[in-house]
Amino acid sequence: MADIDFTRTGVSGEATYDNFSCNVWSENPPTPDRVPADITFERQVYSSGRVTMPDGRRVEMWGFRDPLSSGADGDKPFPSPLIRVRQGQVVHTILRSGKATHTIHHHGLDPSTFNDGVGHLSFEVSADYTYQFSPHSPGTYFYHCHKNTVLHFEMGMYGPLIVDPPEGPGTLFSGGPRYDVEAIWAIDDVDPTWRTLNADAGLCGEDARLDRFRPHYFLISGVPAPRTLTDPRVVVRARAGQAVLLRLINASYSVLRMTFGLDATVFGVDGRGLGRPNSPWSRPIPIPAGRVLEMSPAQRIDVIVRPTRTGTFPVRMVFHDWVTDAIQNAGQGVAETRIIVS
Amino acid sequence: MNRRMFLGYGAAAAAIAPTIATAQTPARVIDLTIEPTDVELIDGRIVFQWIFYGDQQTVPRPVVRAREGELLTIRVRNNAPEAHAFALPGVPGAEIPAIPPGGVGMATFAAPAGGTYLYLDPLHAPAHRLVGLHGVFVSEPAGNATPGGAATPFARTRLTPAVAAVFDACGPDAAARFHGDPWRPGREKIWLFTQIDPALCAQAELRQPLDGARVRQTFAPRYFTINGLSGFDASEDAATKPKGYVGQPLLLRTVNAGMATHAPHIHGNHVLELSGVDANGRQIIQDNVIERDTWLLRALDRKDLLLPFEPPQDIPAAAWPPREEPFPLRYAMHCHIEMSQTAGGGNYPQGITTHWELLGPTRPTQQG
Repeated sequence: MADIDFTRTGVSGEATYDNFSCNVWSENPPTPDRVPADITFERQVYSSGRVTMPDGRRVEMWGFRDPLSSGADGDKPFPSPLIRVRQGQVVHTILRSGKATHTIHHHGLDPSTFNDGVGHLSFEVSADYTYQFSPHSPGTYFYHCHKNTVLHFEMGMYGPLIVDPPEGPGTLFSGGPRYDVEAIWAIDDVDPTWRTLNADAGLCGEDARLDRFRPHYFLISGVPAPRTLTDPRVVVRARAGQAVLLRLINASYSVLRMTFGLDATVFGVDGRGLGRPNSPWSRPIPIPAGRVLEMSPAQRIDVIVRPTRTGTFPVRMVFHDWVTDAIQNAGQGVAETRIIVS
Repeated sequence: MNRRMFLGYGAAAAAIAPTIATAQTPARVIDLTIEPTDVELIDGRIVFQWIFYGDQQTVPRPVVRAREGELLTIRVRNNAPEAHAFALPGVPGAEIPAIPPGGVGMATFAAPAGGTYLYLDPLHAPAHRLVGLHGVFVSEPAGNATPGGAATPFARTRLTPAVAAVFDACGPDAAARFHGDPWRPGREKIWLFTQIDPALCAQAELRQPLDGARVRQTFAPRYFTINGLSGFDASEDAATKPKGYVGQPLLLRTVNAGMATHAPHIHGNHVLELSGVDANGRQIIQDNVIERDTWLLRALDRKDLLLPFEPPQDIPAAAWPPREEPFPLRYAMHCHIEMSQTAGGGNYPQGITTHWELLGPTRPTQQG
């Protein structure tokens, strides 16, 4: 039995205005109801990462690195490294917070409260904690810090999380569509003016202007537009006749309206396959070429395209302001990429 | 200074139905009053708003409930010093074009098909509704059962096979996807979302002309509310926070009275999106029910969703039910356009958030 004083956390402690926002529970407890893991990940917080934008500006990013890997993505990868697991595995994610408190919320996974990463309902992690979950539904998810989320998520503290069915990559979900080529597109918008804030900005009542979001850069999987048109981290290459799975993650604060230059079909939303056996009320959604697919922040959509001829097919993502609905950055809020079929 | 109501913080939570019936008229009369009000926000700031009150002018933004097809007269008294109006988008005839200061306006109409509606002041749209004039109207369906006999919140004639299948999947059958109780009418929560721009409220207070087109350009919300509350208060509010045991499905009636888009995200369970509205505010019952953890709630959207109260599906099987971590398991719901999690530019998460509580893995037997 783990020795946990739940009264020192949001689980059994008295909720107050103060510990909801300004003075949130900060602990490093053992994991309750811990069972042996089939797979374990470590995520160590970094700050002072940088993405070089097309105008030469080096914009600060925070995120998670994998201390177990030699770091092909470099020391401070953005987005944070992929967590990829199989349906039914017991997964442990060890968060190492470093200097400040943080959490990991495995977004779209439905674990217990203690493993859900919401500080005022459980605790923020000042040193380390092992999150435990066992994904039951294959599909596309992501993980992100859930402390002062408005700022920490915008600063880049997120990474993709994929749950494969037992048969492994190549099948979206058991009984669902197969795919030959896969792309993970984490779509983001960046406001460089927020980079001067400290990690706790606003939490204790000061006006940090975190209600004014004016994104200037638009990125797919860490690559700023317009490099998204050519960068191999984004551009998809396939052969005619192959099935291409596009895992879309809206990690921005904009409403996305996307169009594809070829017919597409939505087979999954928020980690739930459409038309799977225990969801007889749903079915896949055809998206003909040129029709707008709308995506709210934090949604994930699994789209499959099956090009039947060679060519270059554009994919266009337009970022709309949440209040005015105008295209962001005075009409410049667009990221485009391509599916090149040979 | 005009006469004012005052809404202290926490007072805005009640959601009760005005039921003033007059035997002399064939239509049931529902009285609403528009009052200039000083409203206290989560951080103590006070802003001016206009508010619809019900019953004895004590209940702000009352939830108006009616039976589908029931003849209703909405009678609105305008106690503000400028003209106001009333509309129920998507419901023909439910409109009062203009009510002069001190005047009373009436509209008589048949309650619409079972579902969730939004009443508002449509003048200088979106200005008057953004200064506070809005509330939720719920129509209880006349006939609501699926072919399989399960109760739903929708008119039988509008039910799609997909939505019927969702409600048929809630019940005591051991093979039911949502094994437990069937959904019971009344097991629901209303989540009314909106945004507050103190600068716009100040303009209204000073009786400066409000131009809808200009407001659409300049609206800069700084406070974000669910059922009139924010953050800590919304999370502690019994009328807002769903509670139940595994197997007690609950209907969420989500409505956006503001101008900004929201992306409500729920932890702990996915929800099933049952209904929406078209561009004219007419109800759509989904024929393809998507399970989501995040849904798009545009300005004036009304979406009904089912929160199944399943066991959280990603707790390891060997750790369910938890032996060390105590019930209730508590989960957040918040808008993922995270600027809506602020109040006055900071104070995360004192914006559009609340909790839901899973009280236990099986319901006490006395609950049947």
